[in-house]
Amino acid sequence: MDLDDCHNFDDFRILAKKKLPSPIFHYIDGGSDDEITLKRNTNSFNSCDLIPNVLNGVENPDLTTTIFGRKINMPLFLSPTAMQRLYHPDGDKASARAAEKFGTMYSMSTMANTSIEEISNISSGPKLFQLYVHKDKSITDDLVERCKRANFDGLCLTVDTIVAGNRERDHRTGFTTPPKLTFKSLVDFAVKPKWVFDYFTNKKFELSNVKNKTDKGTNITKSVIEYINEQYDPGMNWKDAEYIVKKWNGPFALKGIMSLEDVERAIDIGCTAVMISNHGGRQLDGSLSPFDQIKEISDKFGDKVEIILDGGIRRGTHVIKALAAGAKACSFGKGYLFSLSAGGQKGVEKMLQNMHNEIKRNMKLMGCKNLKELNSSKLAYR
Amino acid sequence: MRLKDCHNFYDFRKLAEKKLPSPIFHYIDGAADDEITYKRNTSAFNDVDLVPNVLRGVENVDLSTTIFGKKIDLPFYCAPTALQRLFHYDGERAVGKAAQKFNTMFGVSALATVSVEEISSMIDTPKMFQFYFHKDRGLNDSCLERAKAAKFDVMALTVDTITGGNRERDLRTGFTSPPKLTLSSLFSFAIKPMWGINYLTKGKFELPHLQDYVKEGTSTNTSIGNYFSTMLDQSMNWKDAEKLCSQWGGHFALKGVMSVEDAKKAVDIGCTGIMVSNHGGRQLDGSRSPFDQLSEIVDAVGDKIDVICEGGFQRGTHMLKALSIGAKACSGGRLYLYALAAAGQAGVERALGQYKAELERDMKLMGCTKISDLSRSNLRFRKNGS
Repeated sequence: MDLDDCHNFDDFRILAKKKLPSPIFHYIDGGSDDEITLKRNTNSFNSCDLIPNVLNGVENPDLTTTIFGRKINMPLFLSPTAMQRLYHPDGDKASARAAEKFGTMYSMSTMANTSIEEISNISSGPKLFQLYVHKDKSITDDLVERCKRANFDGLCLTVDTIVAGNRERDHRTGFTTPPKLTFKSLVDFAVKPKWVFDYFTNKKFELSNVKNKTDKGTNITKSVIEYINEQYDPGMNWKDAEYIVKKWNGPFALKGIMSLEDVERAIDIGCTAVMISNHGGRQLDGSLSPFDQIKEISDKFGDKVEIILDGGIRRGTHVIKALAAGAKACSFGKGYLFSLSAGGQKGVEKMLQNMHNEIKRNMKLMGCKNLKELNSSKLAYR
Repeated sequence: MRLKDCHNFYDFRKLAEKKLPSPIFHYIDGAADDEITYKRNTSAFNDVDLVPNVLRGVENVDLSTTIFGKKIDLPFYCAPTALQRLFHYDGERAVGKAAQKFNTMFGVSALATVSVEEISSMIDTPKMFQFYFHKDRGLNDSCLERAKAAKFDVMALTVDTITGGNRERDLRTGFTSPPKLTLSSLFSFAIKPMWGINYLTKGKFELPHLQDYVKEGTSTNTSIGNYFSTMLDQSMNWKDAEKLCSQWGGHFALKGVMSVEDAKKAVDIGCTGIMVSNHGGRQLDGSRSPFDQLSEIVDAVGDKIDVICEGGFQRGTHMLKALSIGAKACSGGRLYLYALAAAGQAGVERALGQYKAELERDMKLMGCTKISDLSRSNLRFRKNGS
């Protein structure tokens, strides 16, 4: 099996599974607790059907939309995800270059293995930085200023990781970052020698954006869970968020809000966008899926704030349903991480090409010439 | 397993799988993307229950209905499907004769492998020609003229294939038409030698309605998705449909209408019928099932044009439910294609006979003697109560 055989999300997932040591595969693939929310994020799209229109003369549908002040060429972009070096030696660089090629947004995690400045040097495409509020406020301030200097277009503050989710697969596999070779995990790594070779012969694993501020950035073998619990500020509140909005003074989103009440407050503190997300089902299991919640939010606040649906997207039709329900754009994490693991930049490009093809094909089949024509009259909820 | 072991849709499907090279079986059996819509087309029937009446004196059941001005003896017919000679060497000849035997409508695809002229000389029962709007206007005119000359009763313009659906099974099997023997597909053809012998000895494979105009008509291997995407005119709009409708000058239907808005427009441009259809789930995955959408459309245009429900039918009771909502008739492709692949004309006759027997039995159990006895009062929806 190689990239040519990857026609959809599941194919990339299978190829990634073949290439990655199992603790790393399961770190991407897993959710919290019983993974009910993880599954529902995608299944929720199936409780709603599309109603197409015909004979509309739709040779060339326009797939562009504007988010965070930047026009993007397709209504789907890369969510910020941590530690991409674990999945492929090129990590964030591969993702950023692929996103630029497709004219869509790349997002960088605070916990990236590539620095803000490095990415800024290699990509002039639309860029979003994802921020975690650390207990040490100077880390937060430093990150915001560096993003500004590096011409990132937007900033998003993740608000659904106040404490780490219960990712039971990681307990079982003993996943840590950087990977710790215990006897238990040794076999998992030994059977994927290519990964191990790439990992040790490429640049050292580090959390490039925070390495000068905390020794946790490089040296100490920590699980992500422990890192979140030790470094992130669980006391974070609306005032802290407002402080960052003001400090950034540009397109800004809260990532990981689900309730109408919180969207309203996000607008009040000056957010220009909200990312409706449950962190890919990796935090609070049993929480509502973004698609189940998106229509209510967009009906009420769609004219005041850019609504981005994050989570569960596997198909072009999922994007179309989300947009018809009122989202301005969608983002995905697992959707491109498996393709990154499967084939680096080429893999991500193939995934984005597949999704671009699907969105374009399905816009034609919907009889829609541009994304604005997608509205709730095109949906029937079961 | 033989034809006499086939008692229902699922048995025919199994026998077809045994007989066909796998790329061809999966071309019939597959659908778009994750095949969610394909599955929903059938499972939608299970969200509604039938409420029978008793003691109605039902020994004689009349299943006839009138569509496009023609009385047919069954409230279902054979939807037009492409490439039938790939499934059985008799192809359209087998299906046409079987349809004639039951006096129901026979739909012939623009991508048929037997010509309209030959079909017309063979059967005198109602016939529908299904038409794709090609970029080549000469080809379009030729299709219309030939169908008219061959005295076809209905012209159906397919409107849900503006571009090819993402049929991933075909991507994996490498299905093309005519079949291309690549190293990967060779094995699947080699283990079904009877299919290969028949294919090579029972007359040349061709697409008689296209072959004078496009190279895809004869020898070039192409996928159906590719054919839709490159040969059909993606700028097709309501004006084009209206022109075709008046050019044809007889019963004219749009096949693949799903929205109420479009159903009303179809009435406005002079159509006498529509097929509520998502192309058997083979085009836009995630689109609504015909049965789920049927009542809204019947309410809007059912008194003005014939509304046909197409897709998902695997049982007589499925048809009863659609007819109860107000469909004038039901149609399907897989409904008879597995049977065609399983045993040619005899297979299709057996399948049509079984659906007829199921419908007759179920009508009696419902306490109904004619199609017009069926109404929404026979139905209870489990959700939403619509």
